[in-house]
Amino acid sequence: MKKAIETLLEWVLILLMVTLTLVVVVAVIYRKLDASLSWYDEVASVLLSWVTYYGAALAALKRKHIGFDTILLAIPMPARMWAVAAAEVLVIAFFVLLAWAGWEVLQVLEGMSLISLTWVPVQLTQSVIPVGAVLFIICELASLPEYWRATAAGISFEHTEIEEEIERAKQA
Amino acid sequence: MTVLVIFVALLAMIFVNVPIGIALAISGVIGLLMTEGTGALVTVALDMYDGSTKFSLIAIPMFVLAGAIMNAGGITDRLINFVSALIGFVRGGLGMVNIGVSLFFAEISGSAVADVAALGSVLIPQMKRRGYSGALSAAITSSSASLAIIIPPSIPMIIYAVSANTSIEQLFVAGIVPGLLGAAGLMGVAYMFARRYNLPVEEAFNVAQLKRTFMDALPAFSLPVIILGGIFGGFVTATEAAGLAVAAALLVGAWYRQVDLKRLKSAMLDGGMQTAVVMILVAASVLMGGFLTRAQMPQELAQYMMSLTDNKYVILMILNVFFLVIGFFLHSVAAIILVVPIVVPLIQQVGIDPIHFGLIVTLNLAIGQQTPPVASVLITACSIARTNIWEVSKVNIHFIAVLLAVLLMCTYIPAIPMFLVDVFYR
Repeated sequence: MKKAIETLLEWVLILLMVTLTLVVVVAVIYRKLDASLSWYDEVASVLLSWVTYYGAALAALKRKHIGFDTILLAIPMPARMWAVAAAEVLVIAFFVLLAWAGWEVLQVLEGMSLISLTWVPVQLTQSVIPVGAVLFIICELASLPEYWRATAAGISFEHTEIEEEIERAKQA
Repeated sequence: MTVLVIFVALLAMIFVNVPIGIALAISGVIGLLMTEGTGALVTVALDMYDGSTKFSLIAIPMFVLAGAIMNAGGITDRLINFVSALIGFVRGGLGMVNIGVSLFFAEISGSAVADVAALGSVLIPQMKRRGYSGALSAAITSSSASLAIIIPPSIPMIIYAVSANTSIEQLFVAGIVPGLLGAAGLMGVAYMFARRYNLPVEEAFNVAQLKRTFMDALPAFSLPVIILGGIFGGFVTATEAAGLAVAAALLVGAWYRQVDLKRLKSAMLDGGMQTAVVMILVAASVLMGGFLTRAQMPQELAQYMMSLTDNKYVILMILNVFFLVIGFFLHSVAAIILVVPIVVPLIQQVGIDPIHFGLIVTLNLAIGQQTPPVASVLITACSIARTNIWEVSKVNIHFIAVLLAVLLMCTYIPAIPMFLVDVFYR
């Protein structure tokens, strides 16, 4: 299950990154040829937002968001695990709120479209908020058991990440 | 009162490892509830969307991607060979090479940890074989990689420019002289250690060898040329330069035949995730920013500070100490997003140039990366050198002292960072 979500999100993110790169490069070329693309700013901004939320879900799955675990890991057991539980509840509560608010906003946006590309409904571009929020919740829950065990054992995720980075550099 | 509740809540959440971006967003929601009531909750979605569409931040995924492709693309060894031919004849040459190559790497990538991993895993074992202690090898690698964050392109600089509503391009230009100055200082300290421990020279200076390694590394130099030349010549914006850097990195990687689909895939994922992690912070700061503005918090802070002193040098000193301390505990991007919007009205009122201040902030946070507990660059270097972080820090203090000296010079002699900005833009 976790692996399936990971693979899916990875390919979505790769697709978004490739599209964003192509859009930026093509737009520079057109601007230099004095034929600026009218839709460039708007479309690139939407793509950035999609990279943000689909990427954020994937980062939650891998627990790569920027945090500070020194104090948490110094809390004695079992209080440490209560702190972890409280933190997880807060994160999930925020994304439940975001999913709800995002859904409400979508209802209001009915019938509107992008300014430069009138065939693209804003409901599609802003769908990233409720969809991204739900994905974030799923990913947070899917990675929780591993994070729970590591934190209980006093292992910092930052250090695992550094080890991975070094491992990869050695292979390159 | 509301402000106090929110800051306590924010700190409490950060302490239990709620991701900082999300802790910031939750604090923004609490602020919204306390000032506007539940009816306004739907605006959370609007702010979180608006914050993630800031056009100038598109430079971030592009620079991270370019760097990730270059790290995978066989450039490391070639750069090391060239810099080694250039300065390897000096005593302690390998240390100099390490610092010199860090400067080139800084021209390409936005991620200091990835750079330290890429460079350190080649150079640190080599240094240890040549008689450098693990602690010295790690200290040189770590301090020079951190200096790299004030040399363009720099993700923290992009974030600062957007937070303070100022020019990314000008801030990039302001980083060049301090960056070179810092590198010269680090090389000086490395030389001092080389004399003390009688470390070896690497190779005799040889023009033919220099020429050969230069030609081999030449395609890689196209990146700094595109990024710096394009931006400073005014041909392209920072975002456009970033896009072109990706295209160039792909071409260079293809030229060296070292970029395959597997590496490209992992570069794309890295770029995407690193961007997301930063952008969540940015989006959350919009939510929090709305509250801070309503609460008049930045203005009140400015008035309070001005009532203590209106001497801009004293205020700069206070801010320096503050950013240094916060750099111990926070990742640089998080520190910028949390603090810069609050202090910008103050620096404007006392007449400090926001570009000058941006350089000071970035340099402070670069130094903060060298000090535990939050010091991912230092930890990465220690981990490669298999040396205890405290042993490394004892040596590293000398290198940190150089960076502090550069910080003070840049703070009190504005011409050092601002000279080139004046030449190019004013």
